[in-house]
Amino acid sequence: MPKHSTLNFQFTPVDPPKEDAENPHAKDTTFVPDDLEALTTEFGDDVLQSTLYANEHTVWVNRDRIVDVCAFLSNERGFNYLVDLGGVDRFTEDERFEVFYNLVSIEHGKRIRVKVRVDEEEPVVPSVTDVYPAANWNERECWDMVGIKFEGHPDMRRMYMPEDFEHHPIRKEFPLLGIPGSLPLPPQEPGGDLTMDPFAAAHGSRPIKSYEEEKTESEQ
Amino acid sequence: MSSIVTSIEKRSEKFSFWPRHNEAIYKRLESKHAWLEEKHHPDDARERAEDPLENEMTLNIGPQHPATHGVLRCAVKLDGEIIEKCVLDLGYLHRGIEKLAESKTYQEFMPYTDRMDYLAPYSNNVAWCLAVEKIAAIEVPERAQWIRTMMCELARISAHLLWLGVGLMDAGALSVFLWTFQYREDLYKIFDEVAGARFTVSHSRIGGLASDVSDTSLAMIRDFTDNFPEAVDGWEKLLNRNRIWIDRNNGVGVLSAEEVVQMGMTGPNLRGSGVAYDIRRFEPYLKYNDVDFNIPIRSEGDCLARYFVRVDEMKESVKIVRQCLENLPEGPIREDNAKHAYASKDEVYYSMEGMIHDFMYTDTGVCPPKGVETYHATEAPKGELGFYLISDGTGKPWRVRINSPSFTNLQALEPMMEGGAIGDMVILIGTVDPVMGEADK
Repeated sequence: MPKHSTLNFQFTPVDPPKEDAENPHAKDTTFVPDDLEALTTEFGDDVLQSTLYANEHTVWVNRDRIVDVCAFLSNERGFNYLVDLGGVDRFTEDERFEVFYNLVSIEHGKRIRVKVRVDEEEPVVPSVTDVYPAANWNERECWDMVGIKFEGHPDMRRMYMPEDFEHHPIRKEFPLLGIPGSLPLPPQEPGGDLTMDPFAAAHGSRPIKSYEEEKTESEQ
Repeated sequence: MSSIVTSIEKRSEKFSFWPRHNEAIYKRLESKHAWLEEKHHPDDARERAEDPLENEMTLNIGPQHPATHGVLRCAVKLDGEIIEKCVLDLGYLHRGIEKLAESKTYQEFMPYTDRMDYLAPYSNNVAWCLAVEKIAAIEVPERAQWIRTMMCELARISAHLLWLGVGLMDAGALSVFLWTFQYREDLYKIFDEVAGARFTVSHSRIGGLASDVSDTSLAMIRDFTDNFPEAVDGWEKLLNRNRIWIDRNNGVGVLSAEEVVQMGMTGPNLRGSGVAYDIRRFEPYLKYNDVDFNIPIRSEGDCLARYFVRVDEMKESVKIVRQCLENLPEGPIREDNAKHAYASKDEVYYSMEGMIHDFMYTDTGVCPPKGVETYHATEAPKGELGFYLISDGTGKPWRVRINSPSFTNLQALEPMMEGGAIGDMVILIGTVDPVMGEADK
């Protein structure tokens, strides 16, 4: 074995996770053992696992039951306020994507995070817009950025990117510079053609100029 | 040489720009612009009434319209003056900063947060730093926390001042805009003195602050808190009983408490409808547990209620700033741990270890434990600003999810506009108070 391959450039040693009581920013609101217990008794095996870090409870549930879980949390446990919803690309072989639901009970002063795992083959999650109308735009954004479809969503358009764009940028395989030619932009001059490559300069070609430049000596 | 003005025929040919996107929006509106409809169904054109006011009209307002407070595009279907249906189109300021964050170290990303809610950059810096401090369990010295609290409240005043001035300008009163901008100018001078930059301050650091506040800046802040309440009283004398202002706002854009919770609105929009939800009380961060302040709530749920809530919030912010000035303790402004925060400049310039620490922190930075995830919310001027971080154990975040208040609030604008008059549209956009830099991310 060559010597250099044994060098591991881990500059800063990673600290082990601290006990929750030690986290100076931990909040009481995110510690919800009662609600987790209620979820487990109601849904049994469909509650897959739960974790606790920095006093924050996260619970994974079965993807097919997410609407029931949200309805239960909203109606029975008071979590009627959806703060955030979004997708995560875990970049693993199976169950590549995750969708998280950040729910708040204003009445009881509690916050819970529910998650579902989604496979790459069939990135579809039932929409919770019937339970939380606030999920509408968040689910559209999730479709736009991560490429997870929401079944039963009333208006499954893209949120930020135009419909003519065909990629999902927050996925890990999407390059940071973008994909050349993927997004048409307005013409450079009145009546001209659409500019097809917004990243032309980034990929080495020269930008179109409205005037002729004299050639330098080396170019002649 | 071609003419700058293209003929209408040529322009309609050129309508192929983002065709699928525009088609989707108009399909959502279930009606198209008169000339577009004629283009697709030339036979129907004869059936139209001669008076254009009796036809349904689709109007695109924005993205480059001064009343939309940024690059917000509203496609509205009008029946005379009444808005029948409204579809908002976002994304004209989309820079993909969630994606950018994944290739930056935690500290490197901090200046990007300035560019989100650019009316209150200090709150964004603090929100980001608190989120990173939570995931990496970093402590912040007392003095830094007090300064952050104080500056966040000044940022809140600054954002609400802009909302007030611009909102009144939308309603037709120009002078208040000039008055509020005098005080915004004072605030900019304070930020300049504290952080060294007027607009994009980038003053907060993970584990503390970039620099301590000087006596001059404290004196400037004290001056501001002495003068500002008087000015607010003066504006209130003008506005609270002003016939035009009240008529434009009273009963416009009414949302009930159930509706705002369902639509997921945050901040003053939520509290204007009588829902007591403020992160400063719900999950107290920084020093909000140690200061005495009220959270203004109104139950009417119309634009006027939201106006009162924001003006009262400014007064409460002044109270908080005063208490911060009184209670400001002496001490360090950054944690003294090279793995958690930048070493002080004295160390960096005069010791070898300090320089190495500085290099390592810039190169690798904070490394939270592998696979953990946290969400930290703060009460930004617009509402709940939260960062949801997932770490993979390296110095760069695996996933950054930004829960921005402008985005959540804008969602409720569509149902608010429907049934309203076109003249109230600018008032409604003003009352939601969106900042597109934050809504588009």
